[in-house]
Amino acid sequence: MLFPTIEFGIFFLIVFAVSWAVRWTPGVRKLVLLAASYFFYGWWDWRFLGLLFLSTLINHIAGLALVRTEHAALRKLIVGLAVTAGLCILGFFKYYDFFLTSFAVVLETAGLERDLPFMQVILPVGISFFTFQGISYVVDVYRGHVKAEQSLVNVMLYISFFPQLVAGPIVRAADFLPQLHRPVGLTRAHVGVGVVLILSGLAKKMVVANYLATELVDPVFFDPSAVGALDLLVGVYGYAIQIYCDFSGYSDIAIGVAALLGYRFLENFDQPYRASSLQDFWRRWHISLSTWLRDYLYVPLGGNRHGDGKTYRNLFLTMFLGGIWHGAAWTFVVWGAFHGGMLALERFARKKLDEYAPAHPGHYGLLTAIGNGAQHFVGIVWTFHLVCFAWIFFRADSLSTAGSYLAGLFRWSDANQYVTPFAVGLILLAMFFQFTPRHLGRWLARGIQWLPSPLLGLLLGGGIWLIWAVAPEGVAPFIYFQF
Amino acid sequence: MLDLLREIERELEDGWEAASRAELQQAEETRRSVARVARTFLIVVLILLVFSSDRLMNWVNGFEVGPLQNGVVALAGTWSEQMSKNGFNEPAGQVRDGMTELRGTGWPEVRSRFDNERARTREGAKLLRGMLSDQPG
Repeated sequence: MLFPTIEFGIFFLIVFAVSWAVRWTPGVRKLVLLAASYFFYGWWDWRFLGLLFLSTLINHIAGLALVRTEHAALRKLIVGLAVTAGLCILGFFKYYDFFLTSFAVVLETAGLERDLPFMQVILPVGISFFTFQGISYVVDVYRGHVKAEQSLVNVMLYISFFPQLVAGPIVRAADFLPQLHRPVGLTRAHVGVGVVLILSGLAKKMVVANYLATELVDPVFFDPSAVGALDLLVGVYGYAIQIYCDFSGYSDIAIGVAALLGYRFLENFDQPYRASSLQDFWRRWHISLSTWLRDYLYVPLGGNRHGDGKTYRNLFLTMFLGGIWHGAAWTFVVWGAFHGGMLALERFARKKLDEYAPAHPGHYGLLTAIGNGAQHFVGIVWTFHLVCFAWIFFRADSLSTAGSYLAGLFRWSDANQYVTPFAVGLILLAMFFQFTPRHLGRWLARGIQWLPSPLLGLLLGGGIWLIWAVAPEGVAPFIYFQF
Repeated sequence: MLDLLREIERELEDGWEAASRAELQQAEETRRSVARVARTFLIVVLILLVFSSDRLMNWVNGFEVGPLQNGVVALAGTWSEQMSKNGFNEPAGQVRDGMTELRGTGWPEVRSRFDNERARTREGAKLLRGMLSDQPG
């Protein structure tokens, strides 16, 4: 059930009506939301409902076991077992065939061909997201950031809550579980935020992402050797915008839907293409994943506490594993390694720059302001192009396609076929919104939260009608569903 | 209305002290907001049923064959036909035509539009300059 479909619209209307009708009995409301979430997940493939439940049960039992023991070594063992179990489930479904295929290639190269037990494992939708949420719960209980939940229903709802179940944002136990213990409420602010985010998310996904995918990105990436350099260059800019609008559109709708049910999720994107460094980019892109990787991988690896060399290693490893999290393919490995390597290099360069030319606080003048502005501008352009370079590997179906794409960027003699004013206009429009005031959405939400229901209905209904009329026919799946 | 009754019942059961003023205010705001969103959704559904009935038709055409589904398809078909007959699908059609034209626009057309705009601006500037120079003193 995709968000921008009539099926989801009907489903949400029913869930909204029933969940608010039973709000006086929180236990029943949670059961309603839980049943709705399992129904939502079962709509994709009911066979994986058991897997979702098993994953939740492991984490719930681990949480309860952590409460019942004070022994440090035993607590470590419990959290280790729960995390390993989660990662084993994820690893089997996501990486089994990838590792076996890679192993077969290695054996073939060494002249030792064998029949290997390939299984054509189907990837359950959202498995990476709910596994990470489960790990977040157990580790937060272990660290004492959140109390272990006595109620299985609460843990089940936290892990399976339908707005974030299949493609995030990755909600933290410490953020969500306390909300289940408070009386639920719907304020004007919830309504304003919900309406603005649902409309902006639909527009991003259905109009910008879908048009760019069908008219520019898909044809260009299908066979990069058949198109010219300009097509390829604008094609990768188009993909940068497509993946942003696709994923942030999904996150917007998820956060908006949760807001209308009375729950608050944290922001997942913050105008990432205005970042002036890669570190800044990762503070703005898929924030829930980057903070998850920071807190549950980078920090346990040692973070920046054990000298420069280990800090660079930890940065690299975190991004490398983040790349593998995205999918079982060498292209994601290269993408993650590139980001990890560049982040380490950037940190090293900044450190050296600070040593040789330290900043002088309090020394402000016109020339300093112009210099800082120019540096910031160059930083934005440089970061955007680094990110675009990495997107080539992320989008390409194989390393050879990525290689062909990169080679084609030097073929300027060929005429362009796909760089139309429409595609360029969409890219420029989306880029414009990267540089609008940061709180534009909040201002809009504040503005509309006081609208009477007929005007709000006209705004939401008219907005959805316009998006439907403008958008291409059909709904393409969200890119992040495959992760 | 029933919500309000439920609130009163709860207060009587638990005693007035049990429900703090803040909680009551939150419950009241929630009740108002839920009613407001419900009315909003009703308007949204009506707008989409009237002005996007062709989308509804496309959707029900994807249903499997069966007695209930056939009835729904027939009903949606009649509805969509009536909406089209009364011209309610025209605005969406016009927007779609506009989008098709926009997507089909090539670089030469964009350039000629820019040239036309520039020529018009130049003409306007000339006219303005002429008007200013005609003024005495």
